Amino acid sequence: MNLNPILLYVDPGSGSYLVQVIIAAVLGALFYFKNLWLQIKVFFFRPKKNEPPVKNDAPND
Amino acid sequence: MTKLPAHPASFRDNSGFVFAENGTLYRQVNNNYKSHYELLLQSGLYEKLIEEKVLVAHEEVSTPIADADMHYKTLRPELVPFISYPYEWSFDQLKDAALLTLSINKTAIEHGMILKDATAYNVSFKKGRPIFIDTLSFETYNPELPWIAYRQFCQHFLYPLFLEHYCKIPAIQLLSVHLEGITAAFAAPLMPWKAKWNLGVRLHLLLQQSVSANGKGRTIQFSKQKMLQLLSHLESVVRSLKAGYPEQTTWNNYYEETILGKDYLHAKAAIMKNWLSSFSGKTIVDFGANDGYFSQLAASYCEEVIAADFDASCINRAYLQHHPNIYPIVLDLTNPSPAIGFNNEERSKLSDRVKPQLSFALALVHHLAIAKNIPLASIAGFFHSFEGDLIIEWVPKSDEKVKQLLSNREDIFDLYTQDQFELQFANYYTIEKSALVPGTDRILYSLKRK
Repeated sequence: MNLNPILLYVDPGSGSYLVQVIIAAVLGALFYFKNLWLQIKVFFFRPKKNEPPVKNDAPND
Repeated sequence: MTKLPAHPASFRDNSGFVFAENGTLYRQVNNNYKSHYELLLQSGLYEKLIEEKVLVAHEEVSTPIADADMHYKTLRPELVPFISYPYEWSFDQLKDAALLTLSINKTAIEHGMILKDATAYNVSFKKGRPIFIDTLSFETYNPELPWIAYRQFCQHFLYPLFLEHYCKIPAIQLLSVHLEGITAAFAAPLMPWKAKWNLGVRLHLLLQQSVSANGKGRTIQFSKQKMLQLLSHLESVVRSLKAGYPEQTTWNNYYEETILGKDYLHAKAAIMKNWLSSFSGKTIVDFGANDGYFSQLAASYCEEVIAADFDASCINRAYLQHHPNIYPIVLDLTNPSPAIGFNNEERSKLSDRVKPQLSFALALVHHLAIAKNIPLASIAGFFHSFEGDLIIEWVPKSDEKVKQLLSNREDIFDLYTQDQFELQFANYYTIEKSALVPGTDRILYSLKRK
């Protein structure tokens, strides 16, 4: 098995700190795009979903 | 003042240590942990975790004091009847222990604290569920810093679960030789190509392997929101993992498909119930428990049953029943959990952790004697190394299962006879009762330890 000799001398905590910063950035970005996508979906699809009750309730219809 | 020695496994954390006096286990809290301990109580975290039954409760006592120089408090933790180690767990046991650790960490963060370590040895099982047993693992939370125990969590929980899920290998049992957990360098090359497209594997395993010391000296900026996102992601990754046990293992359909049928089981259960009705002990060990059919029966007659089998798939099924009195463990009787760790004292061998008043060895002796070539004298000696009496089933050569075992090999077992069986076990036990299981040639023996 190949063990990275540099890793063997890295403090166990600090070594994983950078990884967590990167993971947090990726998750943050994913979360941002997921939210954006949800907003887009809501923007385009919500009126349609609400249409039937609006139509039924509208006095002019 | 005389100092009481710390438990051999309790030396890594300088916040305190576990020690024993007159057979009772205590935990000393050292002065340097005072502020964290006070926060644990004052923040309401301790109360919350006790209410959720996920942390072992304790009471503060004035004596004994193990080391007066460092002493702040002495705690007497609630007793956990049997401590099992991660390498004795099945997939869902390790998975539930991982989810418990993450959930406790999230609760801790909401109370201004965080887990400073995340070893699987901080978790044990009680009443069929995992429970956190290290009260001193919590420290004051600094939102600017990432999780100090993140890598340890990955090595102790996530990577063994990844290996079981993606590679279908019994990686959890590897923890007995990797006491600090499975490293990224070990696990990453074993991942199949399709796993490398999984976000959880990519972020928590492959990334960790590729990022080395380059971050040293950089300013790390973190936040509570990032921390909670990280923990939630870990939770969803762990939740998505499934046991990789094959549909059909050696033993997982033993009871369903046994050629001996249900009549055999019922007949045997009737004899066992009759014999157990006079049992007054506390602990029973069921060796070769399969998925715990007879462990469940035994559980009505004692406080705890250790159900041991080498087939992790069977033990997983036994665990998933969450029986409050049953402690399922994966154990190979031909290579039982040894004493390991620093000075061979950190993790004790099984016979030091369990002192049963009675053991079962049902439908087992032929596997040890014929499939594993262990002489009857050695088998008798092995069971005698555990305290207490023994209920054992003699399976003769005329039995279908023994015929199957001998069908593809030379019969070198001239000494595998009922007379020899009784003779060898008589060195350690007195035969109290015996009964033929109706419809078979098998005989149950109730043996009293000499």
